[in-house]
Amino acid sequence: MGDKAPDKKDVWQGTLALMVLKTLQAMGPLHGYGIARRIEQTSGDLLAVNYGTLYPALLKLEQEGYINSEWGVSDNNRKAKYYKLTRAGRKQLGKEEREWEQTTAILARFLAPGEERS
Amino acid sequence: MRRMRAWFSRLGEVFGKTRREQELAAEMESHLQLHIEDNVRAGMSPAKARREALMKLGGVEQTKENYRERRGLPLVETIFQDARCAFRMLRKNPGFTAIAVLTIALGIGANTAIFSLVSCVLLRPLPFANPGQLVGMTSYYPKGPFVVMRDRSKTMDVVANSDSAEFNLTGVDVPVRLTGASVSADWFGVLGARTEMGRTFQLEEDQPGKDAFVILSHSLWQRQFRSDPDVLGHSIMLDGLSREVIGVMPIDFRFPSPKTELWVPLHLDPRSTGDYWGSSYMPILARLRPGATIEQARIELAALRPQILAAYAWRMPDDSWKDSNVTSLQEWLVGDFRTKLIILLGAVGLLLLIACANVANLLLARSAARGKEIAVRKALGASRWRLIRQLTTESVLLAMLGGGLGLGAAVYGLGILKATLPADTPRLAEVGVDGRVLLFTAVLAVLTGLVFGAMPAYGASKVDLTKSLRMGGEKDESRGSNKLSSSLVVGEVAIAAVLVIAAGLLVKSLWKLSSANPGFRQEYILTARTTPNQSFCAVAGRCQAFYGDLLNRVRALPGVKDAAAVNGLPLSGTWETIPSDVEAYTVAPGAHVPMLMERVVTPEYLRIMSIPLLQGRAFEDADSASNAQRVTLISKSTAEHYWPGKNPIGMHVKPRWKSDWWTVIGVVGDVKENSLTRNVPDWMDGEVYMPYGPHAIQGRGDESAPAELTLLLRTSGSQIQIGSELQSAVTELNRDVPVSQIQTLRGWVSEAAAGPRSTASLFSIFAALALALGSVGIYGVISYSVSQRTREIGIRMALGARRQEVLFLIVGQCAKLAFLGVVIGLTGALLLTRLMATLLYGVGAADPATYAGVAILLVVVALAASYLPARRAMRMDPTIALRHE
Repeated sequence: MGDKAPDKKDVWQGTLALMVLKTLQAMGPLHGYGIARRIEQTSGDLLAVNYGTLYPALLKLEQEGYINSEWGVSDNNRKAKYYKLTRAGRKQLGKEEREWEQTTAILARFLAPGEERS
Repeated sequence: MRRMRAWFSRLGEVFGKTRREQELAAEMESHLQLHIEDNVRAGMSPAKARREALMKLGGVEQTKENYRERRGLPLVETIFQDARCAFRMLRKNPGFTAIAVLTIALGIGANTAIFSLVSCVLLRPLPFANPGQLVGMTSYYPKGPFVVMRDRSKTMDVVANSDSAEFNLTGVDVPVRLTGASVSADWFGVLGARTEMGRTFQLEEDQPGKDAFVILSHSLWQRQFRSDPDVLGHSIMLDGLSREVIGVMPIDFRFPSPKTELWVPLHLDPRSTGDYWGSSYMPILARLRPGATIEQARIELAALRPQILAAYAWRMPDDSWKDSNVTSLQEWLVGDFRTKLIILLGAVGLLLLIACANVANLLLARSAARGKEIAVRKALGASRWRLIRQLTTESVLLAMLGGGLGLGAAVYGLGILKATLPADTPRLAEVGVDGRVLLFTAVLAVLTGLVFGAMPAYGASKVDLTKSLRMGGEKDESRGSNKLSSSLVVGEVAIAAVLVIAAGLLVKSLWKLSSANPGFRQEYILTARTTPNQSFCAVAGRCQAFYGDLLNRVRALPGVKDAAAVNGLPLSGTWETIPSDVEAYTVAPGAHVPMLMERVVTPEYLRIMSIPLLQGRAFEDADSASNAQRVTLISKSTAEHYWPGKNPIGMHVKPRWKSDWWTVIGVVGDVKENSLTRNVPDWMDGEVYMPYGPHAIQGRGDESAPAELTLLLRTSGSQIQIGSELQSAVTELNRDVPVSQIQTLRGWVSEAAAGPRSTASLFSIFAALALALGSVGIYGVISYSVSQRTREIGIRMALGARRQEVLFLIVGQCAKLAFLGVVIGLTGALLLTRLMATLLYGVGAADPATYAGVAILLVVVALAASYLPARRAMRMDPTIALRHE
């Protein structure tokens, strides 16, 4: 039951889950703010969305068992909730990466300019 | 898999809410702090750093709400949350809640009660094995045609039972008259009914000489035989014949009538021609054989008709049983009552609509006052859908409270309903609140809540945020909701008009029916049935002597002024039918012979009943002597039918199978013998009277005088209790003669109007409720509108409007609505009351007097309902009104 623009959020959430999983694989355990910043930086600030949308996505991944969370202390001594990848999450990430690569490869071939195929 | 896991996880999250909320808040807080620190480090001022972090997050509350949507099972949780909240709201407004709940309880209660009837009578399967296969013929047949059908049908197993039969049980302390049924041998088997004890009849046990058996009902076994299991195998005396008790039926088996207390085999004797082919018309039932359809059975019945006519020893009218048809047994049993039930259900449906409109109006008025609350909820992140859901939950909760109360009211009302309906209502004893009724009530309550809640909720959710918040609690005067509530009032008035008109028509019919002249006097007449066995009267003169002695003894009883005997009372359904020859009347080819109702009377009968002698002379004692000339009296309309313009005195009639003619000696007034609207049943042509004596004829072709007579005692007061004296007077003469059906003549007449009376009183109740609900609705809407227009009225008064003008302003507004409603209602009634034409008597469905009366009544009621608020407006102090916010 989306509030403002459900379709946009849905598209975002599909890829957002993959980005979160990838970020956690690359960075190790990280808190919500850290994940948000990291995604923003990696995307080269092209993705400028509300950080707020990240939290329902994190909750969903946790409910599905791909990540889990525990409270910890940040570098500058702040209490924060840290998320980390589970074994199932790692497997899921591998699967989604492969699928994603396949999709992009197919799309790339479609979009490649001037290349005629018979 | 993963989805399942997520669901279980969410299910777990429904609990431990507080801890999770705290954790969410902590996470948000920590997110903000981390972000602010970053921003400060990047060189922002603390204030700007915080603002930027909040914007980037997209609002703390909004994020939390989005998070909650994903956590747990929000739909389920919010329903509980909404219900709790709704419950609080209802408790905070006890007045509103009470009125709304009571209104709905009325509507739902009435519907539940009527639906209980419908459920049992129309929907519940009959208490027989595979009831769907059971069918009934729409016409009655004598025994001969029944045997033809039973032996030749290939689609059905055909059975028959006597329409109603009565038996004398003698050889006990006090002889009793019992209602029973004679049934064909496989009747129980085909219906699939089993005994509680013993066995049912076997094939061939309906043949003469092999049929001396009887099966008892549970209640008769309990009452008369003290539940003695040894009764099986013993013999009892029924109508002077000894019959062996072979079975007892279970307590809930009461068929063909609720009064049936015993079953004996049908007496199938082809040698008694009159009985076998002529009289004793019986209902015919059947079970469709496996694979056969009702359609096939219909075709077969039509094909059997010529075979049945050919089996007769004499020529039957060509159109005999022409319209006979096969219907399902359920339909067959319910008959005309179906129309009545559906009309009643329609009436309570309309009543519920009025109740819904009323509550919807209350909600509309309240949601206008709740504008600010709703705006605040919206500002705090509630979506529109969420608001509608919450408001609808409130109305459904209201409706369910009303439904619960209504169910209680229905259980209570059902008692009254069962007492109001005539005793011969099909399956009345079975009626009660069952699972289907409970389900109906629950669904109805929820639907009701949705119907009356949806529109106000939709309207309220449209609230304009900034405007509402700025207005600060002032009522939102949206024109839309005013228009809506006005049209609701118009609808209420229209529906009330329909119901009141229907009630008016029915009451007028009842009044016409009760004031119609039945052709006899009802006051101070006590009646009782005395029924010696027919064998007692087989000896010539024994019965006449018995009744002569009895009438003399009865006349001597204290409080009795006069006494007479007749073979059956008007309106009691007991009569003899004589196929007759009429002098100077030729039967047209293909038409049936004259069928005359025969009343066998003692000479005092006409005097006691005050039936006027219009011409000629009445019976005298000498007319019943065995050597007297055969004489008869004839009713006025019969004489006019057969001998128009001729003097009937001296004309002759005779039973078809007799050679002696009866001479008409007098003409008497018409009597409503069949019903309050008909002299004789539509298949009869007239009525004749014969003196009780050796020449009195029985329709069944028996040569002896009728044994069973009804005594009429003219008493000196209406409260005379004579029952036991009467029974002992009879017993002293013959200890085997039971006395039954002791009742006043007025009671018989009143019973004949029981059906119309019950419909009229139910409709009157519904109409009164509709009027009450309608006027409450009008009152509510007009007072709300007055309170909204306070300021306007103040301005008008300040500008010089007089109080009278203010009064007219308000009353005029109401009159406009009422007028519109009445016009729509009258139009609707014109269309709808046609459906109840069969329930009306002596008044058309478009009776102008009723319509005009109801229109005036409704306008008056509407104006009266608007008077209080109008007076309040009139007495308003303009200075205060002007300051009103």
